[in-house]
Amino acid sequence: MEEKKVNSFLDKLKQRAQNQTNYGGEFETNEAQLNTRDCPNCGAGRAKKDGITNCAYCGFEFLTVKLTDGVYIKKEDNSI
Amino acid sequence: MFGLFKKQKEEETNPEWYTELQESQERWFTFLEKLEAKMEEFANAAIPELKEILQTDDDLYKRTFHKVYSGVNGQLSNIREKARDTYEEKILNVYYDYNSQISVLSKHHNVVSDFRNRCSDRHNDFEDKYDYWRNQIETTKQRDLEIEYQKILDEYETIKDKFHCTQCGAGILIEKIFLIETYITCQYCQTQNTFAPSTLSRNLQNIARDLAEQRTAHLYQEFETESGKEHALYLQRHELSLSKIHQSDKKVLSEIQSKMDDLDEQRKFAVKNAPKLRQIYLRAMYDEWNKITPDLKEHNEKMYQNQITQ
Repeated sequence: MEEKKVNSFLDKLKQRAQNQTNYGGEFETNEAQLNTRDCPNCGAGRAKKDGITNCAYCGFEFLTVKLTDGVYIKKEDNSI
Repeated sequence: MFGLFKKQKEEETNPEWYTELQESQERWFTFLEKLEAKMEEFANAAIPELKEILQTDDDLYKRTFHKVYSGVNGQLSNIREKARDTYEEKILNVYYDYNSQISVLSKHHNVVSDFRNRCSDRHNDFEDKYDYWRNQIETTKQRDLEIEYQKILDEYETIKDKFHCTQCGAGILIEKIFLIETYITCQYCQTQNTFAPSTLSRNLQNIARDLAEQRTAHLYQEFETESGKEHALYLQRHELSLSKIHQSDKKVLSEIQSKMDDLDEQRKFAVKNAPKLRQIYLRAMYDEWNKITPDLKEHNEKMYQNQITQ
């Protein structure tokens, strides 16, 4: 009798945990991807000539922020 | 005269409230026994269940497992609270009640304090058992992170030369495990390709520290043992110093003294050695961590500096 009670409590607990929706919604799993963004102004591919914030050909501004040193992006990546 | 003789006679026999205290104590002991049995039964049923959920939970953060885990811990805490509340209500209140009625000079005063001490010792035993089950439940959280790390490494091996430049189609080599989005420049046409790592490899930074700790657990254990020695050696020495009190034989006394000196030396060594072992552990752990995620080395080293100056 006692054992039954414990098991039914655990089952209920498990059931409730499985049915509960997670805060922030379901988790999406993504595969690794590679993409490029063409310049919307002149249609050229995004080339790294003197930085990555502006288009190397027509000067279109891809990023309006000033880049600072991060793990992969460094402040040298700002276009002049 | 003044009822003095009558009082003396009264004190020789057990007072009438003695049986009440006995009964309270017995009830308290049986109550705790029942709670302990309940706790044991619950933990024994929950532990295999938790282990199974951890294995089958396909959520990246094992959220279902953690929900059940919190529920189980909550249930255990309820049992503990019940014991604590009852202790306050049925034992301490009774104790305070009689303590205020019976004079400290009375011969029976020790009966009241003995009652409280026995009940409190029993409660401490219960608390020890609670801690034991709590630790047992905590061990269900452990999972072998090497397996997860291997999955990430395998995935990296399969994707590292799979990508081509979206502009000119030339092959692009993913040179390492990236933790967040990054720009990769095509060697031929200089196009900035944006590489988005998979969910699996992004998770590397979340498991890296735990994995490094798992790999250096033996060093941590060494440090823990060494820092625990200080107190144990002190207690051993203290016991010897107590044994000296009733000893008059000079030979035995000098033997005890030399043993005490030896223990003191060992204790001093442990006090000095423990911080060194901690530093060895921390350095090894951070080295492992840096090996797993070299990109975060700069940040980790700052953390290491903070930790060793603590």
